[in-house]
Amino acid sequence: MEQQNNMGIAGRLAAVVIAIVIMLAFYYGLNHLVMGMQGLPLNLDLTPAG
Amino acid sequence: MKQTEFIRRLDVSRLTAMLFPLLVLLVFGLVDAAQADVGMGNAQERITPIGEVRLQGQPPVEIAAKPAAIQEQEVELRAAPRPSRADYPDIGVSSRAIVWVLGQMHLFFGALVLAVPLFVLLIELVGVYTRDDRYDDMAHEFMKISLIGFSITAIFGGSLALALFLLYPDLMAYLMHVFGSQWLVYAGLFFFESFFLYVYYYGWNALRYGNLKWVHLTLGLLLNASGLTIMVMANSWATFMMAPSGVNEVGAVVGNIWEVMKGPLWNPINLHRFIANIAFGGAVVGAYAAFKFLSAKDPVKRAHYDWMGYTSNFIAILAFLPLPFAGYWLMAEIYAYSQQMGITAMGGILAWLFIVQAVLIGTILLAGNFYLWSGMSRTDGSERYKGLIKVIALVLVVCFLIWVTPHTLILSASEISLLGGSHHHILGPLGIMPAKNIAVNLMLIATFLSFQLYRRSDKVATVSWAPMGNALMIAVYIGAVVNIIFLGVYYGYFTNTVYKVGSSVAQVVTTLLVIVFGLVIDALMFKKAKVLPSHWGRIPDRAQYALFALPIAFTWLMALMGYVRSSVKTHWHVYTVMKDNSPDNFIPAIGYAGNMITLVTVLFLLCVLFMFWVANLSGSKQRKPETALAGGEA
Repeated sequence: MEQQNNMGIAGRLAAVVIAIVIMLAFYYGLNHLVMGMQGLPLNLDLTPAG
Repeated sequence: MKQTEFIRRLDVSRLTAMLFPLLVLLVFGLVDAAQADVGMGNAQERITPIGEVRLQGQPPVEIAAKPAAIQEQEVELRAAPRPSRADYPDIGVSSRAIVWVLGQMHLFFGALVLAVPLFVLLIELVGVYTRDDRYDDMAHEFMKISLIGFSITAIFGGSLALALFLLYPDLMAYLMHVFGSQWLVYAGLFFFESFFLYVYYYGWNALRYGNLKWVHLTLGLLLNASGLTIMVMANSWATFMMAPSGVNEVGAVVGNIWEVMKGPLWNPINLHRFIANIAFGGAVVGAYAAFKFLSAKDPVKRAHYDWMGYTSNFIAILAFLPLPFAGYWLMAEIYAYSQQMGITAMGGILAWLFIVQAVLIGTILLAGNFYLWSGMSRTDGSERYKGLIKVIALVLVVCFLIWVTPHTLILSASEISLLGGSHHHILGPLGIMPAKNIAVNLMLIATFLSFQLYRRSDKVATVSWAPMGNALMIAVYIGAVVNIIFLGVYYGYFTNTVYKVGSSVAQVVTTLLVIVFGLVIDALMFKKAKVLPSHWGRIPDRAQYALFALPIAFTWLMALMGYVRSSVKTHWHVYTVMKDNSPDNFIPAIGYAGNMITLVTVLFLLCVLFMFWVANLSGSKQRKPETALAGGEA
């Protein structure tokens, strides 16, 4: 908890925002992978390519 | 010195118990080797045909060639019987109702006694690794509760078999013909299961420490192996009746026993029942812990049963989380096997039962979450997370309401005109699967969050990267929620059906990844955490009622979905190959089924109360009457 306090609110907020961006990119890739594995390809904007 | 001690403790009976599995394997191995020596590979080759003689180690000697007519007669296939109404015995009571009650009761107890040894073995293993005797005692107590369940399972199983042979003789004759010697293997497995069960239970204290503990764990493993084999064999009969394999279009056997067993629905049912049994077993033993907690006055006992209740709830909810996905797989395979069967289940008369199912699953999740929230009062560190509980509760309630929103309503003409159509303009879209998929996944994620907060409530992370770990965990949840809603809304409402179905898989993977991320991050982040004191027994009494709600909802749910699973065969004993011509060859009405389901649920709960009572009875001892002593002295 002490470690968390040392980071400050702004720092924690920035870490959360960066992590969210990373995770959204991860889920974006996951959607392509899972849909592609089922023979349902997607375009870059996630619209159906099939 | 240690070796001498070990040998001294290893008396003949223990040695026999230890070596029995090895002896069995050895005997089978020797028999197999002997057969290999004489050049007899499979059963067909081992059995000498009529009219032939065979000397050991020699090729068969043909005495005389058989006439062609006899040979043709031998290979003629035997079609499934076509019984008429008169072929079904009439005993004055609905045959289906009798078989329904006996079959469901057998399944309830079968599920319980298969599941309990599974998690008992794991708890025992945890006890070995943590060197904490409390785990061992709890595992032993779980076994004590379920022990009488084995006898009840056998009683209902025997009664069911007799009822089936009496009331459905042609069907049973056909199934006997199809599965052949597999029935004897099934019966034989009961001997193994009983042997391992009794040695495992009664040998608990005799095989408690050192190397003997590993012998005990091996016995537990063999007990579970026997139980699971029994389950998958019995499942093959149910799935053969739903989706027959290894037979031709008239039901004649054309494949071997393996081809008969491994029908398209076998593994989906195996997985679904395996997971569901664990959740069900956890819920039932949780009710026992709640009962003992409420009746105990001693703080030490209350602490013990509080911990036992927590562990049971943990098992039930953890097993429950992946269950909907196993259910999806089963339904997907049912649709893949027969669209008609899938539509009968989810698009016809039975579709409404999935709304009832949603109510019951919602009850289970709400009860499980409520218990976790109440349990957080055991630690002072839980204050940090109390604000989040309100958010989780809101998510659960909103998703629950979406899940129970029906799509097709039974309406009069005036109601349709008042509504402005057959579907409500706002609630209508919530009645279809994309909305429900979003709701289910979010409920599971919210439940996992409750679980994660509970686990964190008595710990403070000390690793330097804890803020980054927390940021990542928050992002995992937010990203998953966004992704699940996006997948459900976009592909569910704005693309074609194929993409709609495909996106549900991506939703499931997203939910499972949240669980995996949560477990991994917490395991690493709280490895050397500062542990805050937990006060076992410090939980409101009302939380125990959540533990009672769980087995009731689970039991009702199992009976309900059992009715659906069996009903999708409609008027067939064995789908498409053997028609049901009995007076009950129709899907029973929902009201009638509701009464039957309630009846078996109440019966099961009464039997469970009996089990608890007997388990309690074994620990009580009557005091010696003082009057007798007084009389003696006089």
